[in-house]
Amino acid sequence: MLVLLAAIFVLHIACIIILLTATIDNAWWIVTAGNMPTDIWARWIFVNNSWHSVDFPSTYPQSYLQAVQASSVLACIFSIIGIFVFVAQLFTLAKGQRFLISGVFQFFACLCIMIAASIYTDQFHNDEKNLGSYGHCFILAWIAFALTFLSSVIYFVLRKKTAE
Amino acid sequence: MLTFLALTSVALLGIVPEQSQAIVIYTGWERHALVGSDIRLSCSFFSWRWTSEDVTFSWTYRPDGSRDAISIFHYTGGAAYLDNKGPFRDRLEFVGNPGRRDGSILLKSLELSDNGTFTCDAKNPPDIVGRPSSVRLLVFEKVPIQAGVITGAIIGVVLGLLVLIVVIYYLMRFLVARRVFSLSVSKHGKKKKEGSQQRQGPVPPADPSKIKV
Repeated sequence: MLVLLAAIFVLHIACIIILLTATIDNAWWIVTAGNMPTDIWARWIFVNNSWHSVDFPSTYPQSYLQAVQASSVLACIFSIIGIFVFVAQLFTLAKGQRFLISGVFQFFACLCIMIAASIYTDQFHNDEKNLGSYGHCFILAWIAFALTFLSSVIYFVLRKKTAE
Repeated sequence: MLTFLALTSVALLGIVPEQSQAIVIYTGWERHALVGSDIRLSCSFFSWRWTSEDVTFSWTYRPDGSRDAISIFHYTGGAAYLDNKGPFRDRLEFVGNPGRRDGSILLKSLELSDNGTFTCDAKNPPDIVGRPSSVRLLVFEKVPIQAGVITGAIIGVVLGLLVLIVVIYYLMRFLVARRVFSLSVSKHGKKKKEGSQQRQGPVPPADPSKIKV
């Protein structure tokens, strides 16, 4: 039982770390000309042995970019609240009950990161497919979607037993 | 003692403004406007002196990318002189109140070529030492979405809804629990009353003749 509990806890922490990396590290897309990682907050160029941030080109759809930013931040927030709720429910839940509220928070995190990644895939870099490639943050965002979905399903199915 | 304090404070009040006598001019920092709209560029100043009758306001305009500034407005001797040759002829209006230290101008029918820096310089004789203040005008075809407004709005609304749902949930639980509690108390109270009445019933009234000593 304790092993299962530790595994679930570690899974949730891993989800949080992946979500935070995907949101904060600006590397959803790498422009091959100049090896320039970009999105969702700034674009970086390496000049004179140091990194400088530059503005996005004016062709970027600003409203969609801000929607992606908001969604990914919300996913992080929901996941972080979820871990605290899980720990609280561990102590306060009656025997035999399910961790519904933690599952709901993880599910909302999954939904938000799915919205963010979907908008990004659909609206950005549609005409630049040979000018760059997707960066590690984009991949992490989709992995976070899968992991948070798995985590929320586990919370919905798991029942609390005594003698943890 | 009191007169000494009063005299020193009056002397200080007299000395300090003399040394910090500089006029401070306030305009905005940046103004955004749509093509074809009007915009009011405000300019006011702070000065230790009373507003004199010879107060002057002057506005100069430097287009974006140019190094020269041209004068477009001057107020002196109680009269306002507007640009009648430059880029703002017939588009400028003085809407300020020099008596209230306000030297604002109104620009009408903005064009894309009006992008630039507007500098206001005010003088309040004898308070003339000061730094002119500039406001940058940005004219857009379509008002751009400012960075982070949509992001902040989405996050704020979702978190607000979350807090609202939690509060409503706990409120409902509290109200339902209170109703159940008050119902059970009233039921309990009624039962108690009926019980005491039943006990009094079968007890026969005491017969004084039957009391044994």
